[in-house]
Amino acid sequence: MDRISISTIIMVLVLIFLIGPFVVIFISSFGTQEFLSFPPQGFTLGWFKKVISMDMFKESMKLSVIIAILASIFASVLGIPSAYALSRYDFMGKRIVETFLTLPVIVPGMVAGLTLLRIFVMMNLFSIKTTLLIGHTIIVLPYSIRITRTALENLPTDIEEAAISLGASKLKAFFLTVLPNIKTGIIASFILMFIISFNNVPISLFLTGPGVNMLPIVMMSYMEYYYDPSIAALSTLLILLTFGIVILSQKLLGITRYM
Amino acid sequence: MSGRWKIYILIIPAFVFILTFFVIPLSITVGRSFYDKDEGITAVNYLDFFRERVSRNAFIRSLKIGGIVTLISIVLSYPTAMAINGMKSGKKTIVMTLIVLPLMTNPVARTFAWLAVIGREGMINNLLVAMGMRRVKILYTEPAVLLGLLQLFMPLMILSLVSSFENLNEDYILAARSLGASRLQTFFKVQLPLTSEGLVIGGMLVFAGSISAYVTPALLGGSRILMLSTLLYQRASVLLDWNMATAIAVIMLMLTILINILLRYVGNLGRSK
Amino acid sequence: MAFLELRKITVGYDKKTNVLENFSLSVEEGEFISLLGASGSGKTTTLRTIAGFLPIRSGELIIRGKIYNNIPPNKRNIGIVFQNYALFPHLNVFENVAFGLKLRRMDKVEIEKKVKEALELVGLVGFEGRLPSQLSGGQQQRVAIARAIVIEPDLLLMDEPLSNLDAKLRVEMRSELRRLQKELGITTVYVTHDQAEAIALSDKIALLNDGKIEHFGTPEEVYNNPKTLYCAKFMGFQEFLKGKVVDFEGGYVVVDHEGRKFLARTSEDLTIGENVVLLARRKNFKPAKKETRNTLEGRIISRIFQGDTVLYMVDIGYMEILNVEMELEMGMLKEGQSITVCVEPKDCIAFKI
Repeated sequence: MDRISISTIIMVLVLIFLIGPFVVIFISSFGTQEFLSFPPQGFTLGWFKKVISMDMFKESMKLSVIIAILASIFASVLGIPSAYALSRYDFMGKRIVETFLTLPVIVPGMVAGLTLLRIFVMMNLFSIKTTLLIGHTIIVLPYSIRITRTALENLPTDIEEAAISLGASKLKAFFLTVLPNIKTGIIASFILMFIISFNNVPISLFLTGPGVNMLPIVMMSYMEYYYDPSIAALSTLLILLTFGIVILSQKLLGITRYM
Repeated sequence: MSGRWKIYILIIPAFVFILTFFVIPLSITVGRSFYDKDEGITAVNYLDFFRERVSRNAFIRSLKIGGIVTLISIVLSYPTAMAINGMKSGKKTIVMTLIVLPLMTNPVARTFAWLAVIGREGMINNLLVAMGMRRVKILYTEPAVLLGLLQLFMPLMILSLVSSFENLNEDYILAARSLGASRLQTFFKVQLPLTSEGLVIGGMLVFAGSISAYVTPALLGGSRILMLSTLLYQRASVLLDWNMATAIAVIMLMLTILINILLRYVGNLGRSK
Repeated sequence: MAFLELRKITVGYDKKTNVLENFSLSVEEGEFISLLGASGSGKTTTLRTIAGFLPIRSGELIIRGKIYNNIPPNKRNIGIVFQNYALFPHLNVFENVAFGLKLRRMDKVEIEKKVKEALELVGLVGFEGRLPSQLSGGQQQRVAIARAIVIEPDLLLMDEPLSNLDAKLRVEMRSELRRLQKELGITTVYVTHDQAEAIALSDKIALLNDGKIEHFGTPEEVYNNPKTLYCAKFMGFQEFLKGKVVDFEGGYVVVDHEGRKFLARTSEDLTIGENVVLLARRKNFKPAKKETRNTLEGRIISRIFQGDTVLYMVDIGYMEILNVEMELEMGMLKEGQSITVCVEPKDCIAFKI
């Protein structure tokens, strides 16, 4: 009994450590001073209004969302068929394919970012935007494959054969019986990919240019010059957004299962 | 089988995509790091890396901070995972959701939150002042970076341990107890060995993450507490010293590949049991 | 010509090994055939080959005189009931049963009529809106059957369909399956490892071992006159003695074991001097009254009370312990006690070794 309560106490402290800073920043973002402080003095929604109306944030937010959605779509298009092949068949070179397709999780983002910049942008092969999209697709692709594969492996394989015996072609069997049953996994993978792309710094860090600035990078460069609570307000908004997405997807899909 | 080629149709788009846009460019980067315009094939970039004090320090600091973060993660995560494992399913889901939040939050927002805690006008300093003590400088020190990394990566450790606790059959513990083992003996002889795989895997994930994270050391360590990633960015973007930047990148790459080979090895050990 | 014919078929999962080699089988129209065998005997492989899920390397698969080797599985019009039912988890009962009809582009009214008929046949009217997860194992089984027969298949394949049901339900479903099959007159190939099930259901049984048919015959033949030693053991005969053929007497073969004579049936061509093994079923051993032929002495090692019978494990000095099942009315014998049992020549079979 004793030992259990000690571990529970540690767990609570760990939770406070993990979540506490979010509470602190949340409160700080309502302060009236010109610099970030805790506890804040006064109460204002001014920083939120300021941040929402600033073009640099609006523009970069838009770009970040677009890239995240496009990258997740591309990764799903590439990832779902591969996940299917990997979960259902053994074939020559499977190990190599698997290794290559998990590589983007292993390779540090900074290394990937530098490489993409040097090879594609500096050699004028692609525009910065295109390279951003390629880079983000690369880093989220493994998640599409992994989550879809888990969903497929939890699905009995004989339902496809049942569909085929009833007259469906292989492709039809996939769309009529497999896809509807891995829908949850695919949505979960999409949400996770969106979040990962939207939050990515290392790739976006190297791939900036005139008119091409991803949100986290804009936030970082703003912080270099200003120390006011507007970033706190923006952070609060982003944290609340993440809370919302995570809680909602946990309720609907049980997303921690897929992590 | 006549349908054999169809499998490749499914796999080839993703494979070719990763190959052309990732594996080949990375190989070029690695290859280039051993090349110099004047000297041809050379290891001079790496020699420079270890000769320069700044880069050598960044290397050592990265390993050191990575190690400390991993150790603290283990110490705090093990009891946490144990407590979570003992919870009822509903409560467990809530706690697990809270634990993954730092992983899912925008890194700049997450790190900025620490400024309100440890900054000059942050929570800790204002608390000290209120108690009549002097302010302390935490921001832009190693402990600041440590705190940030701990918040970011401890969830990986906890997730890894919770899943190995879930795979641990409760009966083993009861069996050990019934055979006369004390609580402590049961812990060291049964529970710990059976969860050691999760511990090692979690530890390697935390370590690999810590030595390559960028935002946390950039915002909480600043330009004085340089780690490999921040040094890389500084060399590339500020000084345009591509040779050094590439060398740093390759060193980071090799470190993480090394960790992953170890990880795979541990994974195989676990499977063969 | 037979309705379904497998002619010297060779199939396998990987390049090196063939699971079936030169495998032949023929099934008449309307027959219920069981493929009986242990796991790894090739029975499921045979079924999957007929279904079209495994490519045929050589030989011919013929249905109604037409070669089916290259007809893809979705064009074969074969109904399959899977071991785990393989119901579509996202579709309700109606949609599951209607699945094959929709693919055949039947019109709505027709589909509703046929689904209703099929559900009536399996006794599941009123369950149309339920999802598979809301059904019991037995009900899922019925949906799986309805789904397979509603397309009016030329052939019905069943892969251990009863193995996931509890014992009582399994017996109930047997008679139901038999009734359905006869009512529809649909040619059926049924895979099972349960000999009682095969005997109860089938017109004919093909007993498989290691990719080959050991015995193909009616349930009576396979049960009473197994063709091979493997067959006999699979059908519940146990070995109890080895000896030499010394004579033939009134249709029986006389076997000598250390000077003692045993009479047994045989389905093989035996010659004098050949080594044979003798087998009988546990329930055919009776207590021996006086010293006659076909008797064995031994000591009871342990006993298990089974209700109306008692099972004795008797050490007769053979390499295997003899199981003897006796009526309770004979009285209970004690462990350690000596016992003499006999077996009638008609219940005893000899096989070459």
